[in-house]
Order: sequence, then structure tokens, then C-alpha cells
Amino acid sequence: MRNEIKSRSGLIKPLFMTGLFMLLFFSIIAAMVWGAVDIGWRSVFAILLDALPFYDSPASEDIVPVYSDILLKIRVPRVLLAAAVGSSLAVAGAVFQGLFRNPMADPYVIGISSGAALGAVFAMLGGFSLTLGGFGAVPLFAFGGGVATMMLVYTMARVGRAVPVMTLLLAGIAVSAFLSAIVSLLTYFAGEKLHMVVFWMMGGLGGATWHQVQVMVPYALAGYICVSFFSRELNAMLLGEETASNLGVNTERVKKILLVGASLLVAAAVSTSGIIGFVGLVVPHFIRLVAGPDHRFLIPASALLGGTLLIATDTLARIIIAPSELPVGIITALIGAPMFIYLLKKRKKLRYFGGGG
Amino acid sequence: MGLSIDVHGLKLTYDTFPVLDGAEFKIEKGDLVALLGANGAGKSTLLRCISRILQPTGGKIILDGRDLDKLNSRETARLMAVVPQETTADFDFTVEDIVMMGRFPYLRRFQKESREDYHIVKRAMEMTGVLHLAERSIATLSGGEKQRVIMARAISQQPEVLLLDEPTANLDIGYQSMLLELAARLNREQGVTVIAAIHDINLAVHHFSRFIMLSDGRVLAAGRPEEVITPENIHKSYGVPASTYRHPLHGVLQISVARGRDSEREPNRGPLVHVIGGGEEALPVLELLDQQGYRLSIGPVSAQDSGCRFAHFHNLPVIIVPPFTSLDEQHREKHLEMLRSSDAVVVPPIAFGEGNLPIFDEVETVLREGKPTYIIDFEGVNDRDYSGKAGELMQRLVDEGAIALEILEELPSLLFKNGGLGDER
Repeated sequence: MRNEIKSRSGLIKPLFMTGLFMLLFFSIIAAMVWGAVDIGWRSVFAILLDALPFYDSPASEDIVPVYSDILLKIRVPRVLLAAAVGSSLAVAGAVFQGLFRNPMADPYVIGISSGAALGAVFAMLGGFSLTLGGFGAVPLFAFGGGVATMMLVYTMARVGRAVPVMTLLLAGIAVSAFLSAIVSLLTYFAGEKLHMVVFWMMGGLGGATWHQVQVMVPYALAGYICVSFFSRELNAMLLGEETASNLGVNTERVKKILLVGASLLVAAAVSTSGIIGFVGLVVPHFIRLVAGPDHRFLIPASALLGGTLLIATDTLARIIIAPSELPVGIITALIGAPMFIYLLKKRKKLRYFGGGG
Repeated sequence: MGLSIDVHGLKLTYDTFPVLDGAEFKIEKGDLVALLGANGAGKSTLLRCISRILQPTGGKIILDGRDLDKLNSRETARLMAVVPQETTADFDFTVEDIVMMGRFPYLRRFQKESREDYHIVKRAMEMTGVLHLAERSIATLSGGEKQRVIMARAISQQPEVLLLDEPTANLDIGYQSMLLELAARLNREQGVTVIAAIHDINLAVHHFSRFIMLSDGRVLAAGRPEEVITPENIHKSYGVPASTYRHPLHGVLQISVARGRDSEREPNRGPLVHVIGGGEEALPVLELLDQQGYRLSIGPVSAQDSGCRFAHFHNLPVIIVPPFTSLDEQHREKHLEMLRSSDAVVVPPIAFGEGNLPIFDEVETVLREGKPTYIIDFEGVNDRDYSGKAGELMQRLVDEGAIALEILEELPSLLFKNGGLGDER
């Protein structure tokens, strides 16, 4: 009986997941092949295989040393960073949308981006030469700004032991608006650094290093695992906190953990790559449209698609006006928004989040 | 098995306003309790304290000898399930997904649902009649279907205590009694202790055996329906005058909120109309004339008759005869007196038998004296005649000047219009 009931949805999800994995794989290959300099896919494989310590490629003498440097020192870390940042944003978006039960929620909804931006702009204008653990002042200040904002919003919204979700959302919007105003004020007086500030805020993955990858990837993984621990709780929370509580979810604790977990993901993503919009908003919606709201599927699928989408858009950002680069944030919105609108139109019966049946 | 619930001096204050002000009661294992009380009396708040959504500011709740505060959230969810008034379900979860969420307190992290979980979920859906909806999205269901799905989820929690917070408020009458019957069945078959906050008292008495009435955050009365559902308690808790009566078919206690007849209303000043006999057929006539502002007298009726209760409720002159007896001379004389002092006589669509036919001797007497007399549903007299003589009798009255009406609604426009007193009002 169970198999009869589950047969329809039981087939869609594994197929969809396989598709997402393949998409990620191909986007990684494409991102390594294309760029200001095209490296043929054969060379890409040869270089990658040759880079493995225990393997000596028979084609190693054909490898162009410059290509090898471009690939291993620039493109590979950039692709991995894009994957980590993209999936972090998508997972954080899914969590915030579920937690706030609001389709408008995105990773920046409680003001983490504004806080990070303030930190980053402050560091740029101050011209600090501080470094810590191999990071410059801008990412450090951005991370600090993001985390501090999250704590501020959380403290403001707290009533006794509880944190009402609606208050959190409103406090986030208010704090975000306030911090954005300060960022604008600082930008106004940025003078010759204006270009740098604006560019940072558009978001981009230029200058990705192996060091960033080494920090960001384990960090994103840890955040992902932390969040996926609570996917069943998130499902129950979608029905309202009171219902979740009646079903045995310790709502206040789950809320705190998810809030902190997702916020840290966002703060790390923003501090390495600036404010990249739309990935965190669109990706979870896309997955829900295809496979429903179950977070046990939604979160891993969002991670895969988020990573894929950012790799793909970043590759476009690199090749459209090569050898120059566009900020990737522009591309994600340019591509993501029409794609999303198309989906909305195509699937008229948008039922989740009160779309009406 | 069901669990007992002890509530000791429960207090809860919103800002400075006490919503619960020392509520105290005991619910035994396997009780089936309806929680009554006006809006704001504290029903929902009390239930939400028991389900631990709200933290009381004072007092204690003891669940089967254990302090409720000592249980963790998963333990609580295994003992207690809640069906709220309404569930927002805007998401594309299937019905089966929603019902499966009832298994949450039993599943460990990352543990897959077992065959047994699926079995329990299926049984719960069967019981509430939503198995055929299993694959449907919850967002596409009607209110009644949705509430049954929520009920199935509560059942799949396998609770010892089931709390329902006005679960029928948005349902049609069919689903209302179906849902309450489901709760009663869980109580009967599995001994689940059921507590339901409920607005519709007349519905509640059909399904529940114990009642607790709250007023201003305290327990006003608790116990059997006869002890709790009294006009005095209703007035205290809901602030409206009400009367109670037995359901004519099921015999359960029912209440009715009396329309308009409160102490502030002016007494009627219209002409005095005498209504013959009682029974349910006379009630609409009495109610209508009362609304129109006529003064009324009633009789003869037997002591347990609804016409008699009407007379007592409104404090009207009435002739009462003992049940199962025919009129004696004394009553007949009193009746004639009452007929004579009235300004008009109305014969409602009552049943006729050997017992009450003699009444019409006096009616005929006053009719001959020129008293306006009205016979309602003249056409249907023969259908209500158990003596075989009423048709002839009524025809004679009409021949002598009584006015025959087809339906009651014609009465106001005809009363005093042709002959007799004229427009005195």
C-alpha cells in the first residue's frame, strides 16, 4: 500500500536530484573550459588529472603551462567558491522562507547584507591594512558587520524567552533600512573609492583564492549539515509555530539554531563575494515548484541548484565582455528574474505560500 | 488509556488583564469534556496553557500525577494532540505528508518512517474518511476536508489526551457533528481523554457527557449538563437571557436565547388575545402575537405543555389542567371568564380529540356574543382530527362568523380588521 501511495512522487524526486547533480557537473566543466582564454575540455581533464599527486598523465607533455596556471590557480578555486557561495545563499534563502513562512524572504531579509555592506564600506574607506588568518580588512569587517547585525535584530525582536517571527522580520527590515542609509551616506563621501564600493556591493567572485576556498567550503558544509539536521522541524514550522509546537517541536530552540546557522552562511558568503542577489530568493522557489515544500528534499536540492546557478552566471560574467568582467550580481538578476517569471506564468496553480489553488 | 488532568489555580495575565484568574478543575481519565463560556472567558487560553503554547503566570497543571512543566516537547506531543480552530495550509504538502507529521514526536532525527508509521497514518486517514484524498495537496481542500485531515494528524499522534479548540467553528452542520462524533469515538474506543472548547452548546450536548463552564477566567460550573447548562449560568457567562428545554426527539438539554424578552423591554400594551390550547403548534402563534405587541392569555393547557412553559416564561395568564384528565366544571368556568375578558380568540392548528373538543362549547358561546374568532389552517382541520367531529364543529364556527385562515402569517393583517374591535392599537 505504501508503495502504491508513494509511487508517483517517489519517482520524480530521485530523477530530479540526478538531473541537478548532472547540471552541477556540466556547469563546473563549462566554467573551467570557457573564459577569457578557452581551454579545450581535453586539456582541462589532462591538467586536472595531472594535478592529482598519485597520477601521472600520459598527455602531460601536451599541457600548456599557462593554461595549467590559469586553470589551477584561478578558475578551479573560483568555481569551487562560486559553488560554496551559491549553495550557501540558496540554502539560507530556503531556511528563511520556511522560518518566516514568507515567499519574499531571502538571505538578506534580516539585514545581514546591510550590516556586511556597512562593515565592508567602512573598511574600504578607512583603508585598514588589518589582516587576520589570511583575510584582508574588507571581508573581516563585512563578516563582523553581518554577524553583529543579526545579533542586534535578534535582541531587538526578543520578548522574554521567545522570538516572534513577525517581529524579527520587521526588526530586520527596520535595521536594514537604517544601515543602508548609513552605507549610502558613506558612499556619498567615498570620493575616488566610490568605484570600489559600488563594485563590491554588486557582488562578484573575482580574485577568488584557494585560501578562500579552504575556509568557505568547510564552513558552507558545516552550515548545510546544521540546517539539514532540522529539515523535518522546518516542515512542521511551515504549518505555524503553534502547530509545530503541538507536534513536539521545540520551536524556540529550533528557531534560534536555524537563524544563527543560516545567518552565518550568509555572512560568510557576503564577506567573500559581496552582495549577490536573487540566487537565494529564486532557487528555493524553483525547487518547490517542481518537487513541493518538503525541506528534506528542498535543502539539498537548493544547495545543488544554487551552486550550479552561481557557477553558470559567474562564467557568463567572465565571458560576456571578456577580457573584462561584469559583476555577477547583475547577471544573476538579469537571468534569474525572467526565468522565475516564466515559471510563475507557466505553472499557474502556484499554491505554496498562499498563492491560492 | 487516557490521562487525568488536574488544573490548580491557573492564572494567566496579558499585560495587566487577567485572562485566567485561578481556574481550578479536575478531569478524570477518559472523560469527554466540553469547555463552554463566552468569548474571552478563557477557553482558548486555558487549552493553550494545557498544550504548553502559553506559560501560565500562576498555578499548576498536573498530567496524570506529573507536573506538565517537567515534560519535554516531544514527550508532551506523544501524550497530547491538538486540533485548532483553523489551520493555515498554504503549502503544497499532500494530505499524507500532513498526517505523517503526527508521527514527528516518535521519529528520531534522520530516521525514515517505518511500515508501522505508514500503517498508523493510513488507519488515521481511514478513520476520518480522508484516505481517498491522500495524494491531494492540502491547499486544495475544503474547510471540512482540511479539518478532518488535521483530525487524522492528531489521531496519528496516538495521544492520550485530545484537545480541540473550537474545531467546528468554520464547518457546516454536517461536518460539525461528524468531527465531534469522531472525537467521541476516540474517547469511547480508545479511552482518550477529550477536552473541547465549543461555542455551540446545543451541538455539544449531543456528543459530550461532562461540561465545564468558564466565566471571567474562572470555572463557573462543572459536571453533568443539568448542573452546568442552566439559564442562570448562561446568563452569568454569556450575559444573555436564555431558556432551557429538552430536545423533542433526543431528550438532551437544549438552550435557546430568548429574543428580546429581557427586563428592559416594555410590557406589551396591545389588545388581549386569547390562544386556545397549547402544544408545539401553538408556539409560533404565541411568539408572533407577542412580537406584535398583543397581550396574551393561554389555555387550557396541561402542566408540562410548551404553551404552559411559554406562559410561565412570559408571565402570562394561563389555565392549567392536570395531564391526562378532561376539563372539569371549575376549569370550564374559568376558561369562559378568560375568553370573555379577551378582545379576540385564536385557534391555532392544534390536534383535536375527545379531550379538548368540549373547550369549543365556550368558544362558540363567546363567538355568538360577538367575540372576533380566528381559526388558523382551517383547511387542515381534518388531518389533525382524532375525534371525527372537529371538521363539522369548525365549519359551524365559521358559519357563525369565525374567520378562517390558511396560514399563520395572514393573522396580523386580519386581526381586528373586519368587525369587532377595529384598529384599537
